[in-house]
Amino acid sequence: MASEAPRRAMQTGRVRSDGAHDGFLRHNNFQWLKVGASVSLAAILAYLLIDVQPRPNGGSWYGYVLGTVGAGLIVWLTLLGLRKRVMTPGAWSLKAWTSAHVYLGLSLIVIATLHTGFQFGWNVHTLAYVLMMFVILSGIFGVSAYATLPRAMSANRDEMTEAQMLESLRAIDRQLHDAAQPLELRQAELVRSSLEQDPFGGSLWQRLSGNYPDCETRAAQASVRTENAYKPKLGNDPLEKIDGLLARKEAMLARVRRHLRLKALLEIWLYVHVPLTFALLAALFAHIISVFFYW
Amino acid sequence: MTFIVRQLSRTAEGREIVRTARQEADAISIGRDAGNAIHLADLAVELHHASVSTRDGGQLEVESTCGLPFEIDGRSTLQAQINPATGAELRFGGHRVGISAEEGIAVLTVERVGALSDASESREEIGLFTLKGLLPDRRPVAWGLIGAVLLIFLAWPIFTYATSHGVEKRSAGFHADRMWLSGPLSIAHKSLKANCQACHVNKFEAVRDSACLTCHRDDAHAHADPARIALAKEPPGIGARIKGLFQTAFNHQAGRCVDCHTEHEGAGRMPATAQAFCTDCHGSLKTRLTDTRLKNAGDFGTDHPQFMPAVTVGTDAHGGRLYRRVSFDAHPVDNNGLKFPHAIHLARGGSIARMAQTMKAEQGFGDSLACKDCHAPTADGTRFKPVEMERDCGMCHSLAFDRIGGTFRTLRHGDPAQVVADLRAYYRSTGPDRPISLGGMARRRPGDYAASETALDYVAGARAYGGQAEDAVKAVFSFGGACFDCHVVTPTGNGAEPFEVRKVVQPDRYMKKGWFDHNAHRSETCISCHAADTSKAATDLLLPDLASCRTCHVGEGGSRMKPVKAPVESSCAMCHDYHIDAGAPWLARQKVDRTKGQPRFVPAVASVR
Repeated sequence: MASEAPRRAMQTGRVRSDGAHDGFLRHNNFQWLKVGASVSLAAILAYLLIDVQPRPNGGSWYGYVLGTVGAGLIVWLTLLGLRKRVMTPGAWSLKAWTSAHVYLGLSLIVIATLHTGFQFGWNVHTLAYVLMMFVILSGIFGVSAYATLPRAMSANRDEMTEAQMLESLRAIDRQLHDAAQPLELRQAELVRSSLEQDPFGGSLWQRLSGNYPDCETRAAQASVRTENAYKPKLGNDPLEKIDGLLARKEAMLARVRRHLRLKALLEIWLYVHVPLTFALLAALFAHIISVFFYW
Repeated sequence: MTFIVRQLSRTAEGREIVRTARQEADAISIGRDAGNAIHLADLAVELHHASVSTRDGGQLEVESTCGLPFEIDGRSTLQAQINPATGAELRFGGHRVGISAEEGIAVLTVERVGALSDASESREEIGLFTLKGLLPDRRPVAWGLIGAVLLIFLAWPIFTYATSHGVEKRSAGFHADRMWLSGPLSIAHKSLKANCQACHVNKFEAVRDSACLTCHRDDAHAHADPARIALAKEPPGIGARIKGLFQTAFNHQAGRCVDCHTEHEGAGRMPATAQAFCTDCHGSLKTRLTDTRLKNAGDFGTDHPQFMPAVTVGTDAHGGRLYRRVSFDAHPVDNNGLKFPHAIHLARGGSIARMAQTMKAEQGFGDSLACKDCHAPTADGTRFKPVEMERDCGMCHSLAFDRIGGTFRTLRHGDPAQVVADLRAYYRSTGPDRPISLGGMARRRPGDYAASETALDYVAGARAYGGQAEDAVKAVFSFGGACFDCHVVTPTGNGAEPFEVRKVVQPDRYMKKGWFDHNAHRSETCISCHAADTSKAATDLLLPDLASCRTCHVGEGGSRMKPVKAPVESSCAMCHDYHIDAGAPWLARQKVDRTKGQPRFVPAVASVR
């Protein structure tokens, strides 16, 4: 995974300039990628060279070293949450810190896995490992989301702000409301159901998939279209106007929903990454205490 | 009749705007159609929804004209009577129509209360496009998870420890400290899996030897003086120094049972202790324990001293075995008191082979003698029983000297005084009237040779008859006599017991510091290790030396000095035991156990020669 993220960053076609505008993945010519990879490689080499008897485990001297390094890394990685609230430039800039966070976090996969000695079970030790792996996997998802989604998001927004999207929906709704006034109740109900559905009210799954099978606007438009289909177009039927308005609303909704989906994908991993990090810290603490409590 | 209709609306800042209109009519209509007296621009309202008319006594009647209900004071209805003086509140879709009276005139106050559409509602726009509200907030979830993990995986097990501290055996079922189990216990300790406190006696205290010794009272023999062990240890390398740092920091004593006997390393047998645990001291022992008589041993394949078997040097006054450990490099001889050439007995041709052939049916011999014809394994197959004259030699070497009817009289083996007495009695009581070999006087040899001597023997016997008993005794104990040919005989000069036979001593083991199991070597032939077929004297020590073992056995990691065709990796524990006792070492025991269910010792006739 370590090599995938930067490749994505390169695909974006950015050319390295003075470094000030490089992303955190490319920071300082991949300095932290190199550090993380060297640490991982050294850990693997040492694991292969050191013959721990009777089998590799976290309680050997090498196991203690990997465990200490791993626990230290986990605590340091968690501190990004504090560090990110203070932005500074330079070698110890937030960007450098974030870059290190990503690459050292990835090297933790190697360090912690070797620390386990590939001994897993239904216990607090494996719990800490599994939580850590979930945190790292969600982080990998987050980094790849940050590397790819903003581009798709700005393509979708078409230079509209979120406030503008909202205002556009409201304008269409007002026009729909006025245009529907002469309609008989049955048809008015169709329009009303479109007006009353909360465009932001979809479930989490609908947000993430962008699929809204119960969209009232689409249903209303389909019904109106069916009714209009066999009528002559005289230009004075309010339903024709409604039809046009509903089509505009649906197009706007599609854009808003794509926007919501991309934003949700950019955000969702943090709902895993952050709470599980704290669960991991607790499990790590329990792991360390339990090992020395009974040893 | 007059109605006052008030339309209330609000500006963006929330200021109220009131428009009042007077309607002169008996009834006014309510609906979405612009033609209605009360026009509600509300898609939830019918074009002509209801009408309000006056009744006697100033009462108002509200009636649905479209068949759809409206609400009065929260109740849904199609028709209602209202006293304007008392007042009421009607609701049509998103609009509220309040009814009241001012100076006897009914006032209908119309106000929009429902939003026009969902999007039009004013709402907090920050967070609208985020996942806020769809997922629980991260902070409370994080706190909840921290609490749950610490409670379940830390507090609960500690509680279990506290409540079962000092308990010998816990009840069956789940105990929370099970969640701390770092790996399955070995087969031997499996029964302890629900009883963590059996070994982990005190919190934050590494398992002490005292916990092991509660069960291992008899088998945990000490290896050496602890002070000397401490002296013998190699100075710690970088790895050991790092581990030492952790151990001192966490009150972890070194030199405990668990240093070698590591647990929680997976189900199955506890793994044999690695060679490194031995060679840490023994690899370069002499440099630290300068007064030791032990030689350095680092690895069987490359760094092991020559074997030093305990060879017999004689017997003490009571016939006990006197021995000395001599290295194979010094070409030791085993002075066991016997005269026995293995080579002649094992030869494929010659008189002994021929005699074996004649006795095939009787004794089960092959075309010539084989090792198994004289050597019997012990019940467990590990070693061989000492050779017994009557059982292992007597089938050929008979001690019969007389025949009464169909019964042979034999000289008593192992009791020279009795032999002398029997011979003297024989010459006193019987005549030389037997036309057969006298046997007994001379060692019977296989084949016709013995028969051809019968005549000569008889003549000698006749000559010795009555008063030649001493000559017979002398003949038996001298060169060519039955005793002399196998034993070391010395004349005593004492008339009652004129000869003394040196006691034969056979050790059950030549190498007591190392273990050897014949059972584990069944696939080999005897002579591949014991060069008996070329041995011409019983003093030859027919044991394999270091080089001989190394033709198959290599070091723990396969280390060797010469190429080995089918290498058998052999760590120290293959032959040596840390907790030395009479039994097999740990590793050897495990190897033999694997063959359980098969016959323990099967002398394959073809291979055991």
